[in-house]
Amino acid sequence: MAIAGDLKTFNFVDIFQILLKDRKDGILVIEQDHNNIAVYFKEGDIVYIREVKKVFYIYLDVDFETVLKKEGIDKSELYNVLVARLPKLLSIKEGKFSFTSGFIKYPPDIKSLIPIEKLIMYLARQLTEEEVERKISDLNLVFEKSPNYENIAKKAFLTDHEKKILHSIDGKNKVTDIINITKLDELTVKRTLYGFLACGMIQREKKKERKIGFDLTKNLLNKIISKIKGL
Amino acid sequence: MAEKKIKIVVAGPYAAGKTQFINTISEIETVKTEARTTKAGEKEKKDHTTVAMDFGRIKIDDEHTLYLFGTPGQARFDFMWDILGKGMVGLVVLVDSTDPVTFHEARRIINFFEARYPAPYVVGANKQDLKGAWSPEDIRTALDLGEEIKVIPLVATDKENVKKVLLELLEEISKYV
Repeated sequence: MAIAGDLKTFNFVDIFQILLKDRKDGILVIEQDHNNIAVYFKEGDIVYIREVKKVFYIYLDVDFETVLKKEGIDKSELYNVLVARLPKLLSIKEGKFSFTSGFIKYPPDIKSLIPIEKLIMYLARQLTEEEVERKISDLNLVFEKSPNYENIAKKAFLTDHEKKILHSIDGKNKVTDIINITKLDELTVKRTLYGFLACGMIQREKKKERKIGFDLTKNLLNKIISKIKGL
Repeated sequence: MAEKKIKIVVAGPYAAGKTQFINTISEIETVKTEARTTKAGEKEKKDHTTVAMDFGRIKIDDEHTLYLFGTPGQARFDFMWDILGKGMVGLVVLVDSTDPVTFHEARRIINFFEARYPAPYVVGANKQDLKGAWSPEDIRTALDLGEEIKVIPLVATDKENVKKVLLELLEEISKYV
């Protein structure tokens, strides 16, 4: 199954959210007019970034150690290389992306160097008003904390403002309430909620009750089910 | 005896396959309110688009009829969501699995209905037969949906697929009856 699209309409926060969810291994390829970038993911975290002239070069090497050898990088240098290359990657706003799951074989000593949650929050702080509307399109939305939110929050290196917003999420407060409680501006709150959702720190409120706009009985519902089955 | 109308709303972004979904299952020819597509970015996808609503009908018994109402996909027609949301028993949100741009619009639709008309709902991941289709699980994550919300793969031209989506929705509705 594909994970592909255009960065203009599906940004890095959105992509990282998908890769983080199942802690995916694989290669994210960003194709631009004169530049192609391969981002290597291990268990949902970025472990390496390389630029290539042609996309097919990326798929010549299935072993990560071979990639490093070709690039002349020692494993001990990986953190510094990643830190040096991340700003350029994260500043990209245009280009086509595609993620190939699996494919690359990592040795066991390749570990996460920078938590993806930290990068998600970093990027979320820069989202435009138009982008935040994609997830936080309604001030009446209610969120609740995920069961493991504390662990995720540690990895995300939250600012004091973000901690305040997290504290006000209780499964009852609407977005508008959070703005009033924290006295932060709407864009900051929406950016933070966007990042929290992408990190998996919060989730939509799970509704215990749902409204059915008709007096349905079990008997009538069974009739409808039988009818649909028989069509 | 006066007919009692039971309403299911089929919502989703532009060109997600809502009219096709209703066409596939309706016992009558779907009643359409279409206009020629003129906007750039839309006319490349299809010639006509729903401007008020589509509806299809399934007669349940002498007293009851199930209506499937399709909403217009474009945000400029979102006033129709309010009209159609009132009194619905359930909601099907369709997405085009091959086009992640439409996931944002689908999320906006879900946010709207969840905040105002929180009826049971399911998501139909349409166009699963096409190259480049995202998996239902990745679509679930992209839409910020929990495991409790069903994301069902489908091809809206396939009657059995459409039946499955409706039956899954009815199963959700049964939890609250």
